[in-house]
Amino acid sequence: MSIEHPTRMEDFDLYALGALDDAERRAFESHVASCAECAEKVAEARGRVAILAFASPPVAPSPGVKETLMRQVIASAEGPGGSFAHAKPEPAVDGGIFARWWAGLLPVATAFALATVLLWLHNEQLNRQLADLRNTITQQKQELAETRHQADLIAERETMVVPLWSQKGTPESHAEGHARVLYNAKEGMMTYDGWLPSAPADKSYQLWLVPMNGAPISAGVFNPRNGEMSHMMMKLPAGVTAKEFAVSLEPVGGMPHPTGPMVLVGPIS
Amino acid sequence: MVTAEKRAELKATDASLIHRIVQRDESALAALYDRYAGMLSSVLNRILRDTQAAEEILQDIFYQLWRNAAQFDSSRGSLSGWLLVIARNRALSRLRRHNPASGDELSENTVVVASNLESSVAQQQLMSKVISALDNLPKEQRAAIELAYFEGLTHSEIAQRTGDPLGTVKTRLRSAVETLKRDLHS
Repeated sequence: MSIEHPTRMEDFDLYALGALDDAERRAFESHVASCAECAEKVAEARGRVAILAFASPPVAPSPGVKETLMRQVIASAEGPGGSFAHAKPEPAVDGGIFARWWAGLLPVATAFALATVLLWLHNEQLNRQLADLRNTITQQKQELAETRHQADLIAERETMVVPLWSQKGTPESHAEGHARVLYNAKEGMMTYDGWLPSAPADKSYQLWLVPMNGAPISAGVFNPRNGEMSHMMMKLPAGVTAKEFAVSLEPVGGMPHPTGPMVLVGPIS
Repeated sequence: MVTAEKRAELKATDASLIHRIVQRDESALAALYDRYAGMLSSVLNRILRDTQAAEEILQDIFYQLWRNAAQFDSSRGSLSGWLLVIARNRALSRLRRHNPASGDELSENTVVVASNLESSVAQQQLMSKVISALDNLPKEQRAAIELAYFEGLTHSEIAQRTGDPLGTVKTRLRSAVETLKRDLHS
């Protein structure tokens, strides 16, 4: 059978089936390699034998096979050897492992930065609140000290209490203003508590100690808000004997000497 | 629901799909896969009895088709036949731990299949016909054919496997081939 045409048609099918033993197969192939007619018959025999595959029970491949295949195809097209005329542009999002790493880290970093800013702002707010509380405590300590000082001042035998009244001196004039001064000449300490209507915009009230001898001494300038009491504590020269206390209406900021009308007067009896 | 595009792919001939693959149209490869993957998967699993190995070969065959489609000459043979031959050869090589076939299979193995297997209906009809033809064979003949086709055994190997004389095996196989040719291709 090495150089002769196969005598029986079944030989082609047996060759295509792979049933021929080595010696027969080599002789068959040797002839077919140089015989176009037999080569065509081999092609037909391959077809006849191939359809025996349909005797197999149907088994569908898993969907992953096609997905993997198509990914492989696309990857081969996008690789260095790929040359697609209609190759789809590669999304410009893959900048390598560091870009992917950074892309994953960026939201976390942003969250940390935002949290840091929020914490800083919250901390600043807490610091401001703490400072306000400290100021309030300081102010309350001062007020407490003044109250204690007033209490001590009132308790002392040398302290005098001087009511100040409107110059009119009538019960109706009480509505125009009233005040009380505690004065300790020995210590040179004085407190003022009183009510007066708001001063004109270009004026201020000024408290005076009128000594037995000499010019009035300014004890303070104040601008009470409408309807509110005024409280002041002053340190004056010690040992000054007062004749009276008075409140005058002066230009804004006060004057070295009384220049305006006396609004309240409290003579020491 | 079958889209218009899908219907067009179903109607496309193997030759036109091969031409599109040569033009690097991956949708044509997907269409051919849909057309023949089931047929190949069945025979690969029958031979290998190993789903993973069968799917590896299945994927490799279509990838080879993608890479070397230009070498395929539709005028010389049918794609379905070539796919069946390659699938069987690769499966038997895997079964016998032979080296995989080279990419030249595409141009060297010309296969002519009389039936047009481009539709699933045609494939199902052929399947019924083949099963019926094998059922009509004498038991020994059918066993010999199946040992040759699905296990790749030669005359001598079948005789050794079955314990039958070599001459008897040759006669059985020759008779079986002749009967099948008559029943399937007359």
